[in-house]
Amino acid sequence: MMKAVSLVLAGAAVLSLAGCGEKPQTVSAKPGVSAAKADDKPYNNDQFKNDRAAWERTLRARADNQNEYKRVN
Amino acid sequence: MARMKFICDAERCIECNGCVTACKNEHDVPWGVNRRRVVTLNDGIVGAERSISVACMHCSDAPCQAVCPVNCFYKTEDGVVLHDKDLCIGCGYCFYACPFGAPQFPQAGAFGLRGKMDKCTFCAGGPEKDNSKAENEKYGRNRLAEGKLPACAEMCSTKALLAGDGDVLSDIYRERVMRRGRGGDLWGHATAYGVPGAKPAAQPAAPVQQKS
Repeated sequence: MMKAVSLVLAGAAVLSLAGCGEKPQTVSAKPGVSAAKADDKPYNNDQFKNDRAAWERTLRARADNQNEYKRVN
Repeated sequence: MARMKFICDAERCIECNGCVTACKNEHDVPWGVNRRRVVTLNDGIVGAERSISVACMHCSDAPCQAVCPVNCFYKTEDGVVLHDKDLCIGCGYCFYACPFGAPQFPQAGAFGLRGKMDKCTFCAGGPEKDNSKAENEKYGRNRLAEGKLPACAEMCSTKALLAGDGDVLSDIYRERVMRRGRGGDLWGHATAYGVPGAKPAAQPAAPVQQKS
């Protein structure tokens, strides 16, 4: 009888410690503030070498190329 | 540069689905997820049928960003609305908030399990390192970092779908409308980017005083 009680008590003691390893799983979302990781700038790479103006020129030329009136006529 | 925008010219779209195919191929988008799709209105009615290519419009005041309970959305300095899949909990609020039905959820698991949200990235990837394997697997190719425009617009055979800096697109569209003399309305443009000169939304009315 005493052995069973001590086993139950030991088990309860182990179970009571089970919550100690629990890590918080909540995300602290603040209104109006993005929680996303910081993103790279699209021009901060080997091709554009952090030159935003060069990147913009490239994209502008590419966007202008969608105008077939400029390409065909 | 002003900001990145999409324009879909309903007068030109021929429902070829080239944009849809280009997007799926470029980003290896899984089956069941469509970042872009073509919607046809008045199907079969001669003279009234119009098709439009729809995806995330990267709204100026993005409702998805406003309703996200974990704030996983962010906006780049070029106005592209992106999200962090590591934070997304797949709740689906953004899907209900989006006027364009852009957020997509992979449902590959059992019991209708809904995965992390996936949407058009304007071919700008996500918050992982640009053009890294992780970024490619989670968000697809980052064409903007390569100095290229979204694949859907560059693939469009009739140039109905235009992408890029808003100022450049306005110039292209203005010239187009001037030449053909019609079709100046842009579907979804006011919803996504607002109406120039429009007053802000009205404030809620003051509560009515009830007589006792």
